[in-house]
Amino acid sequence: MLSPDMTMAETVVEKTKIEVKNLNFYYGQSKALKDISLSLPERSVTAFIGPSGCGKSTLLRVFNRIYELYPKQTAEGQVLLDGKNILDRSQDLNLLRTKIGMVFQKPTPFPMSIYENIAFGVRLYENLGKSEMDGRVEQALKRAALWSEVKDKLNASGLSLSGGQQQRLCIARTVAVKPEVILLDEPASALDPLSTAKIEELIDELQADYTIVIVTHNMQQAARVSRQTAFMYLGELVEFDRTEKIFTSPREKRTQDYITGRFG
Amino acid sequence: MMALCVVAAGIGLAWLALILGALVYKGTAGLSLAVFTEMTPPPGEAGGLLNAIAGSLLMTIIAVVVGTPIGVLAGTYMAEYGRFSRITTVVRFINDILLSAPSIIIGLFVYELMVRPMGHFSAIAGAVALAILVIPVVVRTTEDMLNLVPNALREAGAAIGAPRWVVIRSVAYRAALSGIVTGILLAIARISGETAPLLFTALNNQFWSSNINAPMASLPVTIFQFALSPYEEWQQLAWTGALIITLTVLGLSILARSLTGRREDR
Repeated sequence: MLSPDMTMAETVVEKTKIEVKNLNFYYGQSKALKDISLSLPERSVTAFIGPSGCGKSTLLRVFNRIYELYPKQTAEGQVLLDGKNILDRSQDLNLLRTKIGMVFQKPTPFPMSIYENIAFGVRLYENLGKSEMDGRVEQALKRAALWSEVKDKLNASGLSLSGGQQQRLCIARTVAVKPEVILLDEPASALDPLSTAKIEELIDELQADYTIVIVTHNMQQAARVSRQTAFMYLGELVEFDRTEKIFTSPREKRTQDYITGRFG
Repeated sequence: MMALCVVAAGIGLAWLALILGALVYKGTAGLSLAVFTEMTPPPGEAGGLLNAIAGSLLMTIIAVVVGTPIGVLAGTYMAEYGRFSRITTVVRFINDILLSAPSIIIGLFVYELMVRPMGHFSAIAGAVALAILVIPVVVRTTEDMLNLVPNALREAGAAIGAPRWVVIRSVAYRAALSGIVTGILLAIARISGETAPLLFTALNNQFWSSNINAPMASLPVTIFQFALSPYEEWQQLAWTGALIITLTVLGLSILARSLTGRREDR
């Protein structure tokens, strides 16, 4: 299915951040990911697209091993972060998750103040003084384009913000712990078009510093924000290439059918 | 059909109104400062309920201090660490039985467990009996309230690298706080009117006592004793005591409701 030259000859000059090798994933007995292999270049946006149930979110959830919160979910194969297999048993999960942050479909602010929402994660691994922490919170909020909207109410509950603001708060919270990779699981699907535009703008800015992987249902969004796109179908990686190639001249018929809206 | 329902509701409400009416009418007649400042009197003399109120307060506090941590931690195990384990199903089933066990059984159990070996009734035995009543209520509400916390929030906590226990303490508990506190308040409301478990454990005491190793007076048992007596002063104090308990439970219920209400507003 995948031809050997699919390891993206065009981007070979770039450093690979995450490399997936022969990854299989199971929910109990049922196989959700089938022999996935792909490599994601550093400091760029990669989109996973495909119809519901194709395994794109599952794949994303392997990268920070968040699936391990639940029983009977298992991954086999290799996921190399800077060459080191994160599926290894010896991998410290909490440390891994400080390096690979995640933003979810529905905004999930913690039940605490805006300030605390950001300071909470920072405080787990760093011992900062008051002014340093203030600086870090401000920097993270600025990074997430939320600072101007909340700077006068940092002590208000994170839950008092609008949906779009909450989602940017979640991005700020993720950025604040200085990860290397940011995983976005349909981050804009619960938001209005204006908030979506802001999030997309943000993703574009963030790729200068972070490796970003975004799962999206919205093909236009994938086309707008990503540099490379992976199309998945029924647990398989059908095609992975530069985004403009996927959307203009895909190699596979199934990709062609999906992006032209023939199914999915 | 609707008429029948209205009549049924009316009958139910009428009894409640009658009971409350009688309680307020007869209870307030005896309400005075002396009730809160004087000890329970010997027959035929005036007095108050101070030792009974203090005894009830002390035993309730001990029961809550002992029962709440056990209940909250057990509920936390069931909703967080053991969410997918079979032990949780078993524990939940047993806890539900304990929740509906007649309180007199708990009283007899503690009688066998503590009063007999110690050789005498004691306030601490009473407090333990009440604690055993507190635990299943708190376990149940803690588990239910933590289960209402969306998994997405736990995932979000884990996703920034927070260890499991930090996610539970700083995220799940915070999100479920008002619900858990409501459970504790309801548990207090439940035990503050319990008589049977105290009859077999703390018994009663005519005098002031702060010794938890000795029998101690409590409002419910004093009401029980005074209401059955032929003395008018005692009967009056029983009415007043009953009113005090009812108002306390009412207050706790209102507080619990307002806490839950606030959670839903958010």
